[in-house]
Amino acid sequence: MRLAAMLMAVALSAQVRVPRPAPELVIAGPAAHEVRLSSLRGRVVLLAFVLTTCGHCQEASKGFEHLRDQFGSRGFEVVEAAINDNADSATYTRQLNLRFPVGVTQRANALRFLGIRGDQRIGLPQVVLIDRTGMVRAQSAPEGSPMLQSEDVLRGLIERLLSQGRR
Amino acid sequence: MIDQSLHPALLPLLWFHARQLFWMDVWPVTVGFFTIFCYQIYSRIGVMTGRSKILVFALSFGASALSLFGWATMVRSMRMIPLYACGVGLANLLASQIYAVTLPKHSRWRIRYPRVIWRSDVESIKRIQERLSQA
Repeated sequence: MRLAAMLMAVALSAQVRVPRPAPELVIAGPAAHEVRLSSLRGRVVLLAFVLTTCGHCQEASKGFEHLRDQFGSRGFEVVEAAINDNADSATYTRQLNLRFPVGVTQRANALRFLGIRGDQRIGLPQVVLIDRTGMVRAQSAPEGSPMLQSEDVLRGLIERLLSQGRR
Repeated sequence: MIDQSLHPALLPLLWFHARQLFWMDVWPVTVGFFTIFCYQIYSRIGVMTGRSKILVFALSFGASALSLFGWATMVRSMRMIPLYACGVGLANLLASQIYAVTLPKHSRWRIRYPRVIWRSDVESIKRIQERLSQA
C-alpha cells in the first residue's frame, strides 16, 4: 500500500521539476506592503503557500519560525503567501507570533509559480526552497509533501544551501 | 521533490520515514487492535460473577479512554481504513482463542491481575469447569 501511494505520488509529481529558476512572484502584505521574490536574491528563501485556516499550515509556520531563528543571521529568509479568499495575513501573523513576512496572493499565481495545472488539487502547505542564485532546489509534490514540513529535514537542506552559497 | 545534488542528510530522512511509518501504518493497526482487545477483555471480566464493581468500572473506563485517545491521535484518511480494520481483525482472531480471563491474586504483591486462559490450555479449562460445576 505504501509502495502504491509512493508510485502515485511520483506519477502526480512528475510534471514539477527541480532544479529550475524561480519565477517572479509578488506577495501583497498588510498595509499595502509587498514582497517581491526577486528582491530576496542572494539569500536562501523558504517560500510557503498556505491557507490561514489550515491546521497543518499553522503547525508548519511555527516550525518555519524556528528555522528562521536558527538561520536568519546566515542569510536565510522565510516568506509565506496565503492563497485563501479573504485571507487575513495580519491576524495569522499575530496569532502565531511570526516574525517573517506573510502576505496574500491569488491561487492562480501560486499554481503558476509552482508549475501545477489549474485544475489539479493541491495539498497545503506547498513548500519551496530557493537557493541564493534564485533556483528552486526543493518543492512539495502537488498533493503535499510532509517531508518538506519536517523541521529536521528542512534544517539539513537549509544547511546545505547556505554552505553551497558560501563556496 | 528535492534536488538530488543537494544530497539531503541521511539521519533526518531516516527519522522522518520512521515517524511516518509509525503514525501512518503502525499506529492505526495498534489502535484497531487494542480497541477490540481491551473491550473483549473487560467485557469478559465484567460478565464474570463476583467481580468488584469498582474494578469493572475502572477497566471499562481505562479501555474506552485508551481507544478514544487512539482515535483522536490517528491520522484520519482513506488509507487508514484497511490498516485499522487489520488491527480489529487481528484482535478478534486473538480473542477467539481466549477461553476466559481470570483475576488471580499475585502471591507476592497481593494484587489481582488479569490472567488469560487460552483454548489450548486444557488443564486450566478443566479446572475452571470443575470449579463451575461445584458452585
